[in-house]
Amino acid sequence: MKPSKIVRMVSAGFLCTVFLAGLFAGGVARYSYATQFRELPNSTPSTAHYLGTDGLGRDLFARVLYGTRISLLLAPGAALLSTLIAGVFGALAGLVGGWCEKVILASADLCMALPLLFVLLALRALLPLDVDPAVSVVATFVLLGLLGWPSSLRVVWAASRNMRRSDFLLLANATGCPRWRILLRHVLPNLRAVTFAQFWISIPIFVLSEATLSMLGLGVMEPLPSWGNLLRGLEDFSVVSANPWRMCPLVVLVLVVISFQLVLPRQEEIA
Amino acid sequence: MKDRSLRSLSLFLLMGVFAPARGQSGGELHFCLHGEPKTFNPVLVDEEASENVRYLTGGVLIRLNRQSQALEPALATSWEISRDRRTITFHLRKDLHFSDGTPFSAEDVAYTMKLLMDPQTHSPTGDAFRSGEGSLEVRTPAADLVVITFPAPIAGLDRLFDQVAILSAHSPKKEMAVLGPFFVSDYKPGSYVLLARNPNYWKRDARGHALPYLDSVRLDIQRNRDIELLRFRRGELQLINRLDAEQFERLRHDNPAATRNAGTGLDAEEFWFNESPTAPLSEHKKAWFHMTEFRQAVSMAINRADLCRIVYGGYAKPAYGPVSPSNHFWFNSSLEDPKYDPKGALAMLKRAGFRYENEVLKDSSGNRVEFNLITNSGNAPREKMSVMIQQDLLQVGIKVNVVTLDFPSLIERMTRTLEYDACLLGLVNTDLDPDSQMTVWLSSGENHQWNPNQKTPATSWEAEIDKLMKEQASARTDKERKVKFDRVQQIVAEQQPFIYLINKDVLLAVSPALVGTAPVVLNPQAFWNAETLQLAAGTELGAHK
Amino acid sequence: MLVFLSLLGGLLSATLVRFAPGYGVDERELDPRLSRASVESIRAANRLHSGLFSYYGRFLAGAVQGDFGSSRWLQRPISSLIRERFPVTLRSVLLGTLAAWAAALAGSLVVAFFPGFAFEISGTVLSSTLIALPTAVVAMFAVYLGAPVFAAIAVVIFPKLFRYLRNLFAHASAQPYILAAQARGTGQARILSHHVIPNIAPALFALLGVSLSMGFGAAIPIEALCDSPGIGQLAWQAALNRDLPLIMTVTLLVSVITVGANSLSDLADQGAW
Repeated sequence: MKPSKIVRMVSAGFLCTVFLAGLFAGGVARYSYATQFRELPNSTPSTAHYLGTDGLGRDLFARVLYGTRISLLLAPGAALLSTLIAGVFGALAGLVGGWCEKVILASADLCMALPLLFVLLALRALLPLDVDPAVSVVATFVLLGLLGWPSSLRVVWAASRNMRRSDFLLLANATGCPRWRILLRHVLPNLRAVTFAQFWISIPIFVLSEATLSMLGLGVMEPLPSWGNLLRGLEDFSVVSANPWRMCPLVVLVLVVISFQLVLPRQEEIA
Repeated sequence: MKDRSLRSLSLFLLMGVFAPARGQSGGELHFCLHGEPKTFNPVLVDEEASENVRYLTGGVLIRLNRQSQALEPALATSWEISRDRRTITFHLRKDLHFSDGTPFSAEDVAYTMKLLMDPQTHSPTGDAFRSGEGSLEVRTPAADLVVITFPAPIAGLDRLFDQVAILSAHSPKKEMAVLGPFFVSDYKPGSYVLLARNPNYWKRDARGHALPYLDSVRLDIQRNRDIELLRFRRGELQLINRLDAEQFERLRHDNPAATRNAGTGLDAEEFWFNESPTAPLSEHKKAWFHMTEFRQAVSMAINRADLCRIVYGGYAKPAYGPVSPSNHFWFNSSLEDPKYDPKGALAMLKRAGFRYENEVLKDSSGNRVEFNLITNSGNAPREKMSVMIQQDLLQVGIKVNVVTLDFPSLIERMTRTLEYDACLLGLVNTDLDPDSQMTVWLSSGENHQWNPNQKTPATSWEAEIDKLMKEQASARTDKERKVKFDRVQQIVAEQQPFIYLINKDVLLAVSPALVGTAPVVLNPQAFWNAETLQLAAGTELGAHK
Repeated sequence: MLVFLSLLGGLLSATLVRFAPGYGVDERELDPRLSRASVESIRAANRLHSGLFSYYGRFLAGAVQGDFGSSRWLQRPISSLIRERFPVTLRSVLLGTLAAWAAALAGSLVVAFFPGFAFEISGTVLSSTLIALPTAVVAMFAVYLGAPVFAAIAVVIFPKLFRYLRNLFAHASAQPYILAAQARGTGQARILSHHVIPNIAPALFALLGVSLSMGFGAAIPIEALCDSPGIGQLAWQAALNRDLPLIMTVTLLVSVITVGANSLSDLADQGAW
């Protein structure tokens, strides 16, 4: 087998393992993610706590597992949302052209120029307080999805613009094919590959965005763990050097993101 | 002349023989401010960075000795307060000059007080003197005598003058001409403030040498505490004024000689329930929060010892009232410490009509007891405490949702919209005297956080606190004031409007190269005696890496 | 078009800040030592006394003359704040982009010159690892190691740049005329300098624009976390403090740069067609 194929299989296998572990976190982990073992804060790995405990005495292994569930299950949701928005508007911009294209591209540029973190901060502060932590998680990812579309949009737009100038579309138009049919039969299937690629690429981006947001303290509500939450534990260097296993969430995050990228056959990324 | 020089020479030799690790005169002290000083005008100061600069540059009439917590004469050699406590008379030192040479006289004091009490000036310093309507009267019968009469009596009048740095009425340099040990010689916004020794500083040490010993003080503007600690370790800084527990532990491992624990500080962390009748909360929640037993039970269910141990690494003590035990005079030591007793808390809740079924607490109407606790994001200890409180209250079946908000949103909810159930914040106490917290204890006060701006007191105990606070403000002696305020502390302990959690220890880092430090709990903790600090021999003089 | 978009960006930010929760409150209100009158005056000072549009209009009128108003949070004229901080950010971003380009070019040339699985996979793994690190974590490591801000920016830009460049080189090298040149025996170096680079030059130019824009985007969180006195930290603190004039100015600045960079790449893209 080609080496690149081996790499892809290994990455896919890793992703599946992590995904399943997250899904069945309840079965795999011994303790709940919220129980505080107050006699053992910041402890090193032991037979009771495989990865040790965090600053409040919570089992790190359980928290990583549950955090995986949250990040891996919800990031694709956010990616789906943003890819849908980007897909629809990008295709529209690329195919219709003219002022429609200009308006859509301009709004994408504007969205990118806005202080994203501030927008999230403001939206987060507007959320009602009496929500379950689970609801807050979903809300965070929905927000990320709603705001993350500009970068994907440009890619879809470029692809659909290329398509507009392509020969087969010209032919279809020349033969009198109606617009909607062109859209459904010719354009969308071709765009599917691009949008899927964007969806796949967006997942790790949203995982990372949620991590950054949580590191700023604006992400998932306590006591729910997420990778971002867990990464905040790394801010204290002395704790990390005392128990290097605290880096585990970061390692898992990095490996997962790498795997996402390795799984796809290497594609040209249009600027 | 000759005699003096001979004497100083022999003293100098003696010093060399008997005191090996002596500081030397000169050198530059280098440490950080945690924010940008907004102003150098002492009358307008209202935040920490400018307060620190004012402490080092301003000359005051009366100085509160941060170590003994007693008042000392500074620019004023003595003072008298009239019986009605509206008038204070100062006898000033003679032949003093500002840093630029302008002579100092009673006129400058008059000028400063008028500026401070100008209705257009809005500063904490000035507002402390505004006990009633009417204007100030200042008379200067002689160049070294000032008589100030206030419109209404002021409690603890003399102590307030510790914050009043005297401005020059005539100097062309305006507020940059100062009477303190240092003056601002250079300021690069966003970067640093450089203070140089004031050659005209009036104070001398016991041997008659001019103070300050240091040549200059360099204050870098550095918000990031981790970077500050890094620079301290590299030797660039000689002190860090406040460390948090984690940094302190880190430093203690490598360099225990550099760490100092000044003891329990004055700052407290507390949380309170929203008891405002106009708050947009459901009726049953309002009912719970108004119940004294509910608040007492919640207070009893929280394990404060764990909070101190886990969140602050042991560098904090449980707090049960608004006054810290290190406030020697005002602390009511006769109060009992409530215990941590979740079973007792549950029993109390049951007696108050709540039901505990399947590990869930419900009120008498069957509503699940659940509330949200807001706190500000970016403050790791507070976030940790919220999560621990969440866990503690789960033991009695109460579900707490912890929400971290950015500070402006938090303030808006706290003061304007009143859309929150419970709030966890810290109280920064810079003043020993509780009179400065009138707006917190008066039911009509802005800062009466659990139910601000009341037209009439909502409860009988709040009415009693109102009466006591007004009485202590007009009481004649400090002893009488203490009796009244002790009773206020007792009421607060019984009613728990604020549920106090912990008092943090004051943790500092002081380089062994700095001689003469005596860290205390009052602000500024590490450099309150900056004028007598010296850099150890062997440190390059005037060094600034 | 650029100007219009930037202005619109500024107005949107202003609207956002104005109507976001927490506008108009000041931490100083909580000081128990202040009298009621003082608290009222603080509140009055923080309120917007006119409609948003007229406020914006006055701001723009002033901006045209170079006066961006005064920062409420820092109490200083904004133009001087920007003048102090922009060079810091510019320096970090330029150095970071330069470092990233140098590394990315070196890396992709190596992969182009020595095609082989080992180099390819190590390149992919390295760039993937670096992409996978959240910007906040990169900033955190920069603080631990005492690394300068531009290093963190370089680390953030490098992986994406490396991949684009590698793909570009690979694509260009696969052209038939390159193969012909190789068959003729032309040296690799000459092929690179005479055939590959001139053809991908417009795309490189576009990439430059995009990388600068990425650099500025990354600079904001990195500076905020490393406490470097640049525009990034200013923007974040301004947002946290709801300082309206400052946010508008900084957004204007960032809009100009972002939209400019995108236009640059668009232009080059069109040129390539």
